[in-house]
Amino acid sequence: MSFRKQKNLRQNNRDRDSNKQNQKGEELDTNNPIIKQFQIYSVELDDKHDRHERLVKASRDVTIESKRIIFLLHNIDARKNNKTAVLEEAKQRIEKLCTQNFLVIARELQGYDIYQYIRAISAGIQEFIEAFTFCEYLQDKELSDWNQIEKRFKYKTEDNNEYKFDLIPCEFMLGLADLTGEIMRHCINSLGSGDTDNCFKTCKFLQNIYSKYLTLDSVPNRGRDFSQKMSTMRASTLKCEHVCYNLMVRGTEGSKLVSFDGATGVDADNDEGFF
Amino acid sequence: MDMFQKFNSYLEEEYEIREKIREIVRQIDSESKEAAATLQIIHISLSDVGKACTDARTIFDKCRILYNDLAQCIPSGQYYRFSDHWNWSIQRLISLIALVVYLEAGFLVTRDTCADILGIKNQQTVGELHLDLETYLLGLLLMVNELSRFAINVVTLGDYSRVLSLQRFVSDLNSGFRLLNLKNDGLRKRYDTLKYDVKKIEEIVYDLSIRGLLKPTEEITEAFTGA
Repeated sequence: MSFRKQKNLRQNNRDRDSNKQNQKGEELDTNNPIIKQFQIYSVELDDKHDRHERLVKASRDVTIESKRIIFLLHNIDARKNNKTAVLEEAKQRIEKLCTQNFLVIARELQGYDIYQYIRAISAGIQEFIEAFTFCEYLQDKELSDWNQIEKRFKYKTEDNNEYKFDLIPCEFMLGLADLTGEIMRHCINSLGSGDTDNCFKTCKFLQNIYSKYLTLDSVPNRGRDFSQKMSTMRASTLKCEHVCYNLMVRGTEGSKLVSFDGATGVDADNDEGFF
Repeated sequence: MDMFQKFNSYLEEEYEIREKIREIVRQIDSESKEAAATLQIIHISLSDVGKACTDARTIFDKCRILYNDLAQCIPSGQYYRFSDHWNWSIQRLISLIALVVYLEAGFLVTRDTCADILGIKNQQTVGELHLDLETYLLGLLLMVNELSRFAINVVTLGDYSRVLSLQRFVSDLNSGFRLLNLKNDGLRKRYDTLKYDVKKIEEIVYDLSIRGLLKPTEEITEAFTGA
């Protein structure tokens, strides 16, 4: 609400400014070469800002839908025996994101440098990668890399225009890092539903992926994001290891109660603040 | 999972490109520092202004060659991936170019001309080396900063009449900037300092005029009747 208010205010200011301009100097506008130049610049700047806003909006749509897909995937429960049905729905919704939402983004970026607008769309891409790879993980597939996913972002529309959307490897890796949080949650859920085999499986997967991330060289630009994700990933891994430890020591029944004692604190600060 | 190996080699590639870019930008930086130092003479001696401008222009020519090298380093379509490296140095060069053009001819250099002088493209053709609009505008704001200093020193050096044209120029530029819808970003922040420069120069004009040091030229009377 306050944000909208601010925006309106700014709009009003803008209008007032342009009114002032008109009252004061009609003669300035037409004759002065500086004013003439700046009128051109103004158009270009507005165009850029508008495109940025549209991309932010498109990215936000992708973020929301991806979060919902992830939420849906967490509903998979060994007791309900609903795995295939949930996966099927998730796959369909992911497909829809690929064919519709990303087409919007690809269209906007046609002829532009994707890096110029990366900040507008980064959140959406990462959330999508998270949902996509989580879905793949649950299907026991090997995870796709960015080139494989990128193949889905090639479009040919009815009016014979071709669009494509390049997936930036750094963004992919940041999104994949988010996956570990979901895997951890999946591990805890499995514990709740008594699917202990799955706990060990997820734990192994997390340990594996964490050690791979440790082998990476320093990532430029988004370095700060990256180190933050690494510490979250470590926390998730520890949490899973704790679950497995409890399973081994105390057996299946007790672990559900006690496993959280030592582990909840670890992730409390680093949680995404979602749900 | 060889995905991580693939990513590592991707990072390595990127690192090499960045190293190359850094080296070229370092050279450009040292050239532009020299140009900036050369142009400092305008605050000290007005008779040397012409020579300083020609000297600066030869340095711009050197930069043009370096920018040509830089353009080769950028993978196509990835200008903004690496632009952090050179944004600042282009800004500074733009401010120097705009200053030189103003001193020589008294008008505001266009973006096209700036791009020509540096031998880079004006419009963005999918991520190749070009003169970004924001960079150009930031460069102009940097120049105004220098001009407000110049206005003071011009008076000290006894050339009172110049202050008026300076004031005209800067206030035109100010109204130009007011045509832009700026977002709350770096450009807006820098633009907010423009008014202090405008004020500084207006104060100088005021000081001179209350002491009768400015002849009431046509320009002033026109300004008064216009308002």
